[in-house]
Amino acid sequence: MADQNIPLPQGTLDLLILKTVALGPQHGWAISERVQQMSSDALQVRQGSLYPALHRLERRGWIKARWSTTDNNRRAKYYELTRGGRKQLEAQTESWRRLTAAVGQILDTA
Amino acid sequence: MISDLLFRLRAAFRRLTVEAELDDELRFHIDGEVEKLMRSGLARPEALRRARLALGGMDLVKEECRQARGIWALEIAMQDLRYAMRGIRRSPAFTLAAVLTLGFGTGTISTVFTLANTLFFRELPVQRSDRIVVVQATRRHGRWAGWVSYPDYVHFRDQNKTLQELAAHYSTAPLSVTVGSGSPAQHSQELNGAVVSANFFSLLGLRPALGRFFRPDEDSVPDRDPVAVLSYNLCRNWFGLSPDGRPGSDALGATLKINGTTFRVIGVAPPEFRGVTVMPDEIYIPTMMARSGYRWCQDAFAGDCTVFDMIGRLRDGYTVEQARAEMTTLVPPPWTAAGAAAKEGENTAIAVFHRTGVLDGNTGRTGQVRFIELLAGVAGVLLLVCCVNLAGLLIARNSARTREFAIRVSLGAGSLRLTRQLITESLLLAVSGGVLGMIFSLALTGGLNAMFYTFDVEGHPLHYDFTLELRVMAAVAAISIGAGLLVGVVPALRSTRAGAARSLKQQSSAMSTGPRLGRWLAGAQAGVAVALAAVAGLLTTSAHMLVAGTNFETSHVALMRLRPRLLKYPPEKAQQFLRTAIERLEAVPGVESASMVGTGAVLIGGTTQVSLPEWADSQALKCGYIENAPRYFEVLGIPVLRGREFDRRDTVQSPPVAIVSEALARRLWPTGTVVGASLLVNGHPHQVVGIVKDVRLQTRGMPVEPYVYAPFWQNPVQLDARLCVRVRGDPTAMLPALAREVNRVDPDVPIAETITLPLQMAGMTKELQVTASFVGYAAVLAILLSAVGLYGTLAFSVSRRTKEIGIRMAVGARPAEVLGMVIREGMTVIAIGAATGMGLAIAATGVIRHLLYGSGAADAQVYAGAALVVAFAGILACWVPARRAASVEPVIALREE
Repeated sequence: MADQNIPLPQGTLDLLILKTVALGPQHGWAISERVQQMSSDALQVRQGSLYPALHRLERRGWIKARWSTTDNNRRAKYYELTRGGRKQLEAQTESWRRLTAAVGQILDTA
Repeated sequence: MISDLLFRLRAAFRRLTVEAELDDELRFHIDGEVEKLMRSGLARPEALRRARLALGGMDLVKEECRQARGIWALEIAMQDLRYAMRGIRRSPAFTLAAVLTLGFGTGTISTVFTLANTLFFRELPVQRSDRIVVVQATRRHGRWAGWVSYPDYVHFRDQNKTLQELAAHYSTAPLSVTVGSGSPAQHSQELNGAVVSANFFSLLGLRPALGRFFRPDEDSVPDRDPVAVLSYNLCRNWFGLSPDGRPGSDALGATLKINGTTFRVIGVAPPEFRGVTVMPDEIYIPTMMARSGYRWCQDAFAGDCTVFDMIGRLRDGYTVEQARAEMTTLVPPPWTAAGAAAKEGENTAIAVFHRTGVLDGNTGRTGQVRFIELLAGVAGVLLLVCCVNLAGLLIARNSARTREFAIRVSLGAGSLRLTRQLITESLLLAVSGGVLGMIFSLALTGGLNAMFYTFDVEGHPLHYDFTLELRVMAAVAAISIGAGLLVGVVPALRSTRAGAARSLKQQSSAMSTGPRLGRWLAGAQAGVAVALAAVAGLLTTSAHMLVAGTNFETSHVALMRLRPRLLKYPPEKAQQFLRTAIERLEAVPGVESASMVGTGAVLIGGTTQVSLPEWADSQALKCGYIENAPRYFEVLGIPVLRGREFDRRDTVQSPPVAIVSEALARRLWPTGTVVGASLLVNGHPHQVVGIVKDVRLQTRGMPVEPYVYAPFWQNPVQLDARLCVRVRGDPTAMLPALAREVNRVDPDVPIAETITLPLQMAGMTKELQVTASFVGYAAVLAILLSAVGLYGTLAFSVSRRTKEIGIRMAVGARPAEVLGMVIREGMTVIAIGAATGMGLAIAATGVIRHLLYGSGAADAQVYAGAALVVAFAGILACWVPARRAASVEPVIALREE
């Protein structure tokens, strides 16, 4: 099973997190679950690397955190996208598309 | 950017919270994962193990999160600070110079702040001092404001609604106090006391250090309750302290004689309370005992006996403005009845204001404001000079560090990081300078206090509280940090802006702007130094001229004040005593002559109205008035131009006579011949028997005040006197012997205000004296700083031009020529600066006109002297670099580089 998982390329975790919280405020564990689900478990996100990434994004002002209660009444830290984060998400998505397109083109033609 | 900063700040300052939050967040994750795994059928322990495994090492994650949050701002600051400290250790000379410069600059300004704080802003050391107001009568005419009669006080007290309480106090009552009457321990002293209403202490919210304060019933019937409260100070001096530092309880119940009446001590005031005026009160008695404490009116409670000041506490919910509005409506009708025709000394309106700073009826607020403004101006200029000096030092230092900066930038330090580093360095200097300045200002204020604020004109003790307050410290901190940043940041930005590669390559050109700017700065400093030195010279000469006197001679005159009135002596007994005292004093070896005056201080006197018999009342002139005994003009060295002094012939039985000053004679009889003429003094005819020279006590801009003199012995109700005695040698040394002699005549009469005439004159012009010493100090500093600045600039320039000088000498320039060249370079700067400084000084003379006594004849010499002193300092500053230049060995110089 581990063999089928693709390790995450450098820098893409941020993009995935931004995309995930763009759907609505989420807490850390939910983000981790969501990334796994959305990628149909194809991407291997090391859970431990998720939190430093969240803190880094918060410091850059792309996401912001607030404490809130969950459905079953527990306090959890929710992250949501900021306006700057949305711009960043668009820019990164765009450059990711260009990168993959360029790489794909090379792979196809070569 | 801002969110980043906030985030970091939160991380730095709320470290524990942030850590706890991180713990919570990770625990929440584990719990979620465990639940998920348990739902898939795992047992709890296994689920927990897997969840932890999936997350990775807990501590590792936390550490990574911490790093993700960025290094703490605090940590960076500490790093910068450590680096700055290393820099300071590396260049101790620079640091010492910079810190000293800033210290001098902030020290002077901090002294001005301290003075201003005490004069204008310090509140009484009492409860809720912000609610204390002064309720003061104002007068259309006359120098003094404030006093009201007892019935007027009661009127204001009972009618107002905006004040919680209104108290009456007469805080400058001279009380002759005797303790231990009849016992061997008896001693008596004239003290400054206060006659206060019973609510005075409760209004201020004071608690007695011992015993109690006055009860309302003790202040309800005139002369019934002779009770007294002592100041802490007096209690300590007279009754000692108990071992636990509290005032000795012996004081309670002790009996004292105050102006002949026996009083019982019922309490002691707290140590921090010294009364509400600048004259510390040593003893308090209730208003109903005012007759024991007041002698000027037949009845201290009469409607025309204005003796009391008023102080109040605002009722909750009311403002000063409301109280003022209400009090204005309460002004008694007689006050406003006279309207514009109100006479001198008549109350006409009421003022209500917050009681802050000190109340000094002699100078008044406007005078003090002008005084502080002047000092602040001087201190500001000095601070500017210090900043310029410091900027010069920093520019030189930064030029030397260009390489260091360039290397750091090349190694990847952002310019922001570098600027932050430089700002940290400036701040460190600024804070050290500020602390030094503070210490410095404590010494300076202490000196000024001891010289000018401890005793008044008549030798009475004064109490100005110059202890530091938080707002002064905050202001000084703000100033020093502001100055440090200002002079630190600008050169820093300049140094860091230069691109790394460029400055590495062309460091010499980056450096060359240093000395050129430095020379300008040195010149500007020299200019300011000349101006300050000139002003200091003018002020010192002015003070000297006033004290030395023109047309009078102060240096060997001793003074003392005798008040038989305090002992209720009848006029015959008092006059007999005074007559004998003068006779006995004149017989004391070392005494040349003795005399006395009846009203006001020696030389100053009081005021009266004079006119000629044929004049209408409205033409009367206001002029100075002194009642003096025979030999007065001899004692004071005032030349008698025509006619004679008063002598033994002038008695109550003989026709009234007068002596006029030259200025008065000119006003009354412009055409001459006045001896023998008749004039009215306060409506009473007198015959002029002499003319004396004018005693000029006014500053340059003011016309000399005319004086009329009348014989002391022609006033049958005269009781009290101020004695003036001319001695051979030092009057200070003679004073005790003179006092002993007077004591022998009548040991009961208290002797007060034993002081010398020069001291009295100096005290009269306290502001001039303070300003003169302050500006003198500033001038010395400015001269020093400009010399050091010039030295630095020249030394730098010589070191850079070593090669050029070497070439000059190799082609035949003699050392003397090189020496001359460098000195010329430096002195050109000084000369331009000095010329500007002279201009500044002449302009400044106009500003300080109100402080200048004596003629302006010597002004030019003072300006020239100031320029010479600065030039001399300049030559000294040039000498060392010039010598170094002259001793350059051409061969060695050319081999360098």
